[in-house]
Amino acid sequence: VCVKKRKKQKFRTFSMHVLTLYMVKVYVSSSEIVVNEANFVRKCIGAESCQDDLWGKLVCTNFKVSFIAHNSLPRQCTHRLLGEHDIPLACVEQVVTVNDVKGKQKILGSNQKLKFNPTELILYCKDFRIIRFRFDEAGPESAKKVCLAIAHYSHPADPQLLFGFEYVGKRYHGSTASHSNMVNGVDPGGGLQTPLFDCSSDWDREIKRTGASEWRVCTINQGYFISPSLPEFFVVPVSLADQDLKQYACCFYSQRIPLWCWNHSSGSALVRMSNISDPQQQRKVEQRISSAITKSHPLRSDVFKSDLDKNLPNIQDIQAALLKLRQICVIDSFEESEEKWLSSLESSRWMEYVRTFLRHAVEVVYMLESRHVSVILLEKEDRDLSCVISCLVQLMCDPHCRSLHSFQGLIQKEWVMAGHRFLDRCNHLKRNDKEESPVFLLFLDCVWQLWNQYPAAFEFTEVYLTVLGDSMWVPVFSTFLFNCPRQRAEHSRDFASSKSIHLGQDQALCFPPVWDWSQQFSLKDQTLFNNPLYVGKIATCVQNGTVKTFTHRRSKVSC
Amino acid sequence: MFFCVQVYKDPSKGELPLLPEEHVQDSAKDVTYICPFIGPVRGSLSVTNYRLFFRCTDREPVFGLDLPLGVLSRVEKIGAATSRGDVSYGLACKDMRNLRFVHKEPEDSLKKSVFEVLMKFAFPVSNNMSLFAFEYKQVFPENGWKVYDPLAEYKRQGLPNESWRISKVNDHYELCDSYPAALVVPVTITDEELRRVSSFRAKGRIPVLSWIHPESQAAVVRASQPMVGQNGRRCKEDEKLLQAIMDANAQSHKMFIFDARPSVNAAANKMKGGGYESEDAYQNAELVFLDIHNIHVMRESLRKLKEVVYPNIEDSHWLSNLESTHWLEHIKLILAGALRIADKVESGKTSVVVHCSDGWDRTPQLTSLALIMLDSHYRTIRGFQILLEKEWLSFGHRFQQRVGHGDKNHTDADRSPIFLQFIDCVWQMTRQFPAAFEFNEYFLITILDHLYSCLFGTFLCNSEQQRLKEEVPKHTVSLWSFVNSQLEEFVNPLYVGYPSHVLFPTVGIRHLQLWVTYYIRWNPRMRPQEPVHQRYKELLAKRAELQKRVEELQREAANRTASSSSERAGSPTRSITPVQTFV
Repeated sequence: VCVKKRKKQKFRTFSMHVLTLYMVKVYVSSSEIVVNEANFVRKCIGAESCQDDLWGKLVCTNFKVSFIAHNSLPRQCTHRLLGEHDIPLACVEQVVTVNDVKGKQKILGSNQKLKFNPTELILYCKDFRIIRFRFDEAGPESAKKVCLAIAHYSHPADPQLLFGFEYVGKRYHGSTASHSNMVNGVDPGGGLQTPLFDCSSDWDREIKRTGASEWRVCTINQGYFISPSLPEFFVVPVSLADQDLKQYACCFYSQRIPLWCWNHSSGSALVRMSNISDPQQQRKVEQRISSAITKSHPLRSDVFKSDLDKNLPNIQDIQAALLKLRQICVIDSFEESEEKWLSSLESSRWMEYVRTFLRHAVEVVYMLESRHVSVILLEKEDRDLSCVISCLVQLMCDPHCRSLHSFQGLIQKEWVMAGHRFLDRCNHLKRNDKEESPVFLLFLDCVWQLWNQYPAAFEFTEVYLTVLGDSMWVPVFSTFLFNCPRQRAEHSRDFASSKSIHLGQDQALCFPPVWDWSQQFSLKDQTLFNNPLYVGKIATCVQNGTVKTFTHRRSKVSC
Repeated sequence: MFFCVQVYKDPSKGELPLLPEEHVQDSAKDVTYICPFIGPVRGSLSVTNYRLFFRCTDREPVFGLDLPLGVLSRVEKIGAATSRGDVSYGLACKDMRNLRFVHKEPEDSLKKSVFEVLMKFAFPVSNNMSLFAFEYKQVFPENGWKVYDPLAEYKRQGLPNESWRISKVNDHYELCDSYPAALVVPVTITDEELRRVSSFRAKGRIPVLSWIHPESQAAVVRASQPMVGQNGRRCKEDEKLLQAIMDANAQSHKMFIFDARPSVNAAANKMKGGGYESEDAYQNAELVFLDIHNIHVMRESLRKLKEVVYPNIEDSHWLSNLESTHWLEHIKLILAGALRIADKVESGKTSVVVHCSDGWDRTPQLTSLALIMLDSHYRTIRGFQILLEKEWLSFGHRFQQRVGHGDKNHTDADRSPIFLQFIDCVWQMTRQFPAAFEFNEYFLITILDHLYSCLFGTFLCNSEQQRLKEEVPKHTVSLWSFVNSQLEEFVNPLYVGYPSHVLFPTVGIRHLQLWVTYYIRWNPRMRPQEPVHQRYKELLAKRAELQKRVEELQREAANRTASSSSERAGSPTRSITPVQTFV
């Protein structure tokens, strides 16, 4: 809470020895390398005047764009990986260089040339920040070089160039090959209470917890031999034998055998399924799957199919809405848009989409809860919209999911393991803009809406949701780096062999999941994740939708 | 459940709860309430001298309506009786809802319908009866009329001091009948001069001090507009008074005059003899217009808001419809004005004079919000009560006129939701600073409910003088008696105080929200789905428990230190760091 305006610090001229005094280097670990830097750079703080601007050094590393201010004492920084002025390269959306004397402007990609000397660098960030640096006093060559470096390193050509690989790889070097080589003294596994659903025991527990006795863990995809995008372990009706599943698999898009998500206490199951690619087989396979699900229902109830592609906006719609939202939140001038704020917010359609998803989830809840039927979420690839809906349904119906660790487990189960294409949707490689879509952010917004309507029903806070959303752009966590578990396994094997990393007992590189919050924050800071109003798991069904703006996130505007 | 916020009630029993001196006047069976959310509901209706009580028994859960007659602004028969003898009645309420009932006319034409009885008791003032507040004789452990003692409040601010004195010139309300008796003015200005100033300020409302900064001595001064007129009249005593206000603050050689109105309106007031301070006459004073509109614009905006939120909300155009009411824009302008005042006083160390036309609507909105920003005392429950008593009640915000207590003249152009807007602004601040206010949202809603209920005397009459004349404190109960006798209901468990902090809220439209839990609380779909009120109480209990435990441990530690030091005399005494817990 910003209490009492900070006294405006007037810019003081600095001499060279002061400069060196304040050269504080804060680098994540030995895996981070400085690529390029420029001195005498001015970071613009205020929009109108430059009296609050900071002077310092602009540094590009293989992880982040860093600004080391000369004349302001380093503020106590709470983030363990990022300083006050740091931007992870993965968070940079667009690099724009400007020469205002010549009136030139260029958007930079990787491996590009720049024909003019930039006087200004503007970084448009994925988290809605817009950051400006001025090079009026900097050497023209070093300014140009640092801009090109930032542009180049924020467009990695290969996933293995994402900083996470260096970050994790370095752990296996060093003194011993074992896990004792911890980062910041933290166990890479995180001592986690969050189930990752990457082993059959996590699924067994979930089956037991929800009383889904007619469902079993299926292991036919071990080694990813059946489907490239499914996890190694998932849950299917007991009445379907492995042999049947192998047979049906080829009919589904990407061989994705329908996945069990969760059981309602009434015995109704929530299942997600991709389209059947073979039209001739469609009816037969659909019938088999449906009847198997019916058999697993204690009342032998029918199955309701909920077609998500038909009822919900697609990923391009969602992306378009976010771009409009960003336009009105940070790009349009505040004074001009002030009067039209609410109607422009409405016209971005973001809130409308949030509402559509919540409403659809409510309909599914109604089928499960009041009509006592099992529900199949049907989506072409089963990797985007289903993730949102299945999570929302479980959050609404199952108080268990509203504790912090179970919420994390839920994301692990319905997003990470189910193969949400985080790499493509985040567009970490900036290769294909058509695949970029903020589906996960939309989900967090939906959760925030529920959180607002039920302030005592969730163990976590708005801060937690915000931090979780921001972590998508810190590319060191297994959670947001890959399109599916198989891709993670393959890349980490390849990386290990190319760098001759001895993995020891591990089968793949052990990336920390984002749930290992100690990677980013001290235990004291993590207490901000705890909602003091939380009443425990006694609250019942939360549903019904009124929608508010995700203010906490939006309020974080350009600096 | 449709029971509204009530004083003493147990909705599960569903029996008509009666307050002391409350009597049933009439009741009828077979009344149909046309609920906009669940459709027609049949039940029985009772009218007392305080409330309307409707109850339907043949449905689960039991459905009821329980509202003080004070919230009614209009009761009217809609259309003629149907062939079956059914008559419709529409009830418009001051608290953002409309109710509709259908009832069979009594066959005996001499007998009055229950709604005719309702009309009589809903508007006692128009029917030469007294408001229920004058009959209600509940006794509470605390006497709320003692909450505000002007001299004690000024003493808290360090007044009188070498620059400011407390004048008795208005002791008998002769100088200004809408001002309080105790006025704080610069020592260098005599009472005689004040009298001359009063003839130059609209309604005699001279510039007097509201608040003084404890360190810089910059003052917040309130007034009404100067009667400049078209000829640009001047008053040398008024000029001297403003100069004296500026001189009382050694930190600054400048002062600001905040005129709450749009400049066009301020200029138009010259035609009617009013106007604003000219720069020639008031040197070193800078005049700033705050662009806040008048009571009529605000009333119209709230009317539009009611149309948008009640009974049904058009989901697909919700935001643009809300925008078209301009309600949040008005809230923004008021908050922005108060922010500028607080900033000038705190950061600029300059004294400010605030006025609008008469100085009893926009002026108290601005001064009281600025005071909440500047002085943490006003963010406590009792401090907030003092603020209302002082800035609103004693300085003559015309509550009777603006609310129209017991008056059936619902089209009266003097009605306006000025006080509601102020409470909305406070709510916006509690959203932005959730730990800075001792009270919770329920406290604010309770105040608004009793603004209309006419159960307590607090918001009756237009001025301090009128309240004394009517002997309101003698014959009625104060709202603060009720509130302060059950404080646990109103305490914000997240409160940590920030005793010396000034709050500067962000006032952009982006940071303002519609106060859904007030304006749309009658819509079951918009209600907080899981009330946190109970949870707040649990947290308070938990905090009290932990605080007790800390004290115990501290005592234990102190005893141990004492005993060990007595055993081994000469050993250095350990100091105990006091532990503070915020749960």
